[in-house]
Amino acid sequence: MNENNILRLPAEKQFQSEIEALIANEKNPVPTGWKMSPKSVLTYIMGGKSGGTVITPKYMGDRRIVEICIATLVTDRALLLIGEPGTAKSWLSEHLTAAINGDSSLVIQGTAGTTEEQIRYSWNYAMLLAKGPSFESLVKTPVYTAMERGAIARIEEISRCASEVQDALISILSEKRITIPELGEELAAKKGFSVIATANTRDKGVNEMSSALKRRFNIVVLPAPEDMETEINIVSTRVAQLADDFCLNAKLPERSAVEKVVTIFRELRSGQTLDGQVKVKPTAGVLSSAEAISLLVNSMALAGSFGNGKVTDAELAGALQGAIVKDDDKDKAVWTEYLENVMRKKGRGFASLYEECREING
Amino acid sequence: MAEYFGVRHLSPACGFFVTQFLERVKPDIVLIEGPSDLSGLIAPLCSDKAIMPAAILAYTEQAPVRTVMYPVAEFSPEYRAMLWATDNEVPVRFCDLPSGCALYSDNENEDAQQEKIPSKGESVYSRLERISGLDNDTFWEYTFEHCESYDDFIKAVEKYGSHLREFSEPEKYTELREAFMRRTIAEAEKEYSNIAVITGAFHTCALKGKSCTAEDIKLTEKLDTVSVKSTLMPYSYYRLSSRSGYGAGSKAPGYYEILWNNRLRGTLDDAQTEYLSRIAASQRKNGFAASSAEVIEGVRLAGTLCSMRGGRLPSMSDLRDAAVTCMGHGSFGEISIACADVEIGTKIGELPEGTVCTSVQEDFMRQLKELKLERFRKAKDEELELDLRENIRVKTEKSAFLDLNRSFFFHRLRICGIGFCVKTERPQDNATWAEKWKISWSPETEIQIVEASLNGDTIQAAAEYTLNMRLLSAENLAETAEVLSDAFECGLAECVKTAVKAVQRLAVNCASPSDAGATIHRLSGIIRFGSIRRIDTAPIAPLIQQLFLRFCLQAGSASICGEDAAEELVTALSRVNDACLAHDFLDTDRFLTLLYELSDSDRVNPLISGFACAVLTERGKISAEKLSALISRRLSRSNPPQEGALWFEGLSRKNRRSLISRLSIWEKLAEFIAALDDEEFKPVLICLRRTFGEFSPSEKSDIAENIGEVLGLNAQEAAEFVMTEMTDEEQQTIAELDDFDFGDI
Repeated sequence: MNENNILRLPAEKQFQSEIEALIANEKNPVPTGWKMSPKSVLTYIMGGKSGGTVITPKYMGDRRIVEICIATLVTDRALLLIGEPGTAKSWLSEHLTAAINGDSSLVIQGTAGTTEEQIRYSWNYAMLLAKGPSFESLVKTPVYTAMERGAIARIEEISRCASEVQDALISILSEKRITIPELGEELAAKKGFSVIATANTRDKGVNEMSSALKRRFNIVVLPAPEDMETEINIVSTRVAQLADDFCLNAKLPERSAVEKVVTIFRELRSGQTLDGQVKVKPTAGVLSSAEAISLLVNSMALAGSFGNGKVTDAELAGALQGAIVKDDDKDKAVWTEYLENVMRKKGRGFASLYEECREING
Repeated sequence: MAEYFGVRHLSPACGFFVTQFLERVKPDIVLIEGPSDLSGLIAPLCSDKAIMPAAILAYTEQAPVRTVMYPVAEFSPEYRAMLWATDNEVPVRFCDLPSGCALYSDNENEDAQQEKIPSKGESVYSRLERISGLDNDTFWEYTFEHCESYDDFIKAVEKYGSHLREFSEPEKYTELREAFMRRTIAEAEKEYSNIAVITGAFHTCALKGKSCTAEDIKLTEKLDTVSVKSTLMPYSYYRLSSRSGYGAGSKAPGYYEILWNNRLRGTLDDAQTEYLSRIAASQRKNGFAASSAEVIEGVRLAGTLCSMRGGRLPSMSDLRDAAVTCMGHGSFGEISIACADVEIGTKIGELPEGTVCTSVQEDFMRQLKELKLERFRKAKDEELELDLRENIRVKTEKSAFLDLNRSFFFHRLRICGIGFCVKTERPQDNATWAEKWKISWSPETEIQIVEASLNGDTIQAAAEYTLNMRLLSAENLAETAEVLSDAFECGLAECVKTAVKAVQRLAVNCASPSDAGATIHRLSGIIRFGSIRRIDTAPIAPLIQQLFLRFCLQAGSASICGEDAAEELVTALSRVNDACLAHDFLDTDRFLTLLYELSDSDRVNPLISGFACAVLTERGKISAEKLSALISRRLSRSNPPQEGALWFEGLSRKNRRSLISRLSIWEKLAEFIAALDDEEFKPVLICLRRTFGEFSPSEKSDIAENIGEVLGLNAQEAAEFVMTEMTDEEQQTIAELDDFDFGDI
């Protein structure tokens, strides 16, 4: 299959040259099962230089957090990333595995329908009936494969899984082995095996993680971007990457447009204006950086398909409306209030956006 | 010949190696960076019984008092050097500018003392952070605190100091200090052949190998200075950490102590385990779960974190991050209390008797001991309840009045502005023999004590002086009476006498009955409970008599007044009545006459008139017929209705029970209300609502019963009617009354 046609390449393919450069220029000791040293993983995530190759930053935020994540994986502890939606949990876990294993594909998406078999192993029943229990009829799960290879498995949204599924992980994480009673065999994990799980703070009530499971993880909380500048950088970088992927027929939004969106998002998120002078009601939905990114991509798509190829305030207004007013009337009231009390007073830069927003919001 | 050792203040590694340095050099004299005029305080600071942290405190003789402190901890290199010198009987001196110069400089004096190195553009520290990728403290810890070789350490520190110097801008005050130090060293060289100089690493390269020039002499010939006094004071780890920044403070004295103790034991590698175990212990103490497994994981994680940054042993930031991840479930908030406990700690220093230099400090410590309050000298708030009565179960007089003397002591501290203790209100229990205090000690307390030394040589003298000053500046009766009662609470008999005289002088000109009432109340309180504080209250009685007489003469005419003034007078009347009941030396008849006049007069404010009537009823000095007649007259149609209501409000201020039990009153009230038309009813309703608002629910239901009786309903029904919730419509009507314009009532 032609790689150009793929909607989204896995991280290790997309940044293949960077990973190769880092491996080629490795100077520090590499832990068993890893492709590169912890320091190189850090460089891969935070950006920098390796030999002559420029490494683009993947995660823009506290370097220390990434250090803790990598150090956790070095000590063969499992890593749990938690945070608000859109704080780059999955993004970080994908890139960590891409750098450490060169393979970010061992992933289980946690849902309410995830079963224990999807964590441990299941059977190919046709084969099972034909040949009886044997290794050939065993269907390996990503976790199983990771144990076999000494790699890192990813479990997304672990708190959405039912508690018996979460419990299945406990023995794997503490014993580092899976017994297969049907075959009278046992699979012991190779060195380098670990798990990165992500969980959403907003989903806390879905399936509270048991403290037994929590104890087996080192927990790292990913914060929302600390300052405006960082967030603008994150948003514009990602928008540029996505625009490339999607071949949108529009110019990248100007920095001023990104700034406006990020300002509005930050103000609604923190419940006050940036200068701290006016209180703002927060919306019911989460306004994360990820949401801002998709909003801008969305308006680029609008501009490319129906507009003049340039992201104007009209496109922004449409996308903002969709992002902020999710479904209930409350959000609409909040948005109206924000428009009238805050945005209207922001001066010339925001004047036309204000007009457009007001028209759409009605 | 001088040998130099550059230090970082409050660094355990420096503290450790400075001793080795001195052992090798074996100097004839040790010079330490510190105010040269305060060398005399080194000996007491090094006394066996002194427990660090402590500080040398210099303060200006004149008010406003400005202070400068030189704190040291057990592991401070300066302190270790002093100890070495004292143990080996080698002379030891300070070699920096005298403390007067620091206090003279117009800058914030603390800034001048800290080695702040301002520079144009990027500071040397942020430059260091940028290049090393480590914050300052972590860089220092990796490079110096974890270094175990003497030779490496000496070389590294020297290099560090010279680099700091290279990238910082010169500062005038620092140059002056260094010139002074060069001069002191040169002078010492004349006397001694082998000199050890212990200064901040930053200064070392300005001193080492540089001789004292003529310019230095010129610069330091005439110093700008102020006259200062000095003393030693106990210090706290908390204060050390809050004064952080390079130089005078340390962000984590508790953690540094862990490093120090482990270094002394030769087990520097164990410091990390100790830190994390202590965090876990503190977590458990605070009610969180923390397992040994988590500590083990924490140690492993911290080790990896540190090796990723190129350190040999984990620094505090590695350890803390590991603790957050493994024990705090990713959030610092969960372990923040434990971190404060372990990193900062609550340790406070102690100085034995005879080592502090102001007599007030000594007096404070002596009294703490005498009054058995030593256990309260700690950083944590603690409550103490006092029972001022004589304890008859003990043998000695001293212990019988222990709590009373404590109370005197606390009140005196309060008057001196020493924030060691705060009196807390006891809401429900207003027993005058009991007091409740909240006590905690901080270095600020010690500073306030030292400041108080300007007012006297003991706590008592300082309190007396302060009260006398207040008396001199007091302008009215109320202020003076307050001083009197303060003096009384402090148990200062002399002061009480002076204050009595002052009150007497002012009472002559007291024109306001409400002022007189308030003062009588205060004084009466002193007499009534005087015996408990064992102070002669005899001179106060004539004062009360005098004020009482004034009150009785003035109250009559003062009662023709508006509503606000009437409220004040009612309070005063009630207080004088209390005093009158309590003291038989007051002329009760005169007071009763006043009350009769007030109750009978139609000219005085109806509230006062009603209240006077209430007092008389309570005392049983008014006959039922008379009362009944008064009620009829007040509530009759010829009076403006709101006046009647106001009068009734005054009447109901006292002895409600007896009011409720008199059915005749309620009959009259019912008649009065029934006769009103709608317009008249509104103002009356407002007054009555206010009146009955203060009644308790059980009183209200009794009233309902009365009303039921009057209106011929059965009690049950009436009570039910009164207790039913108001309908919205009724609420509305009543809400409208809020805007009612009283016009010229």
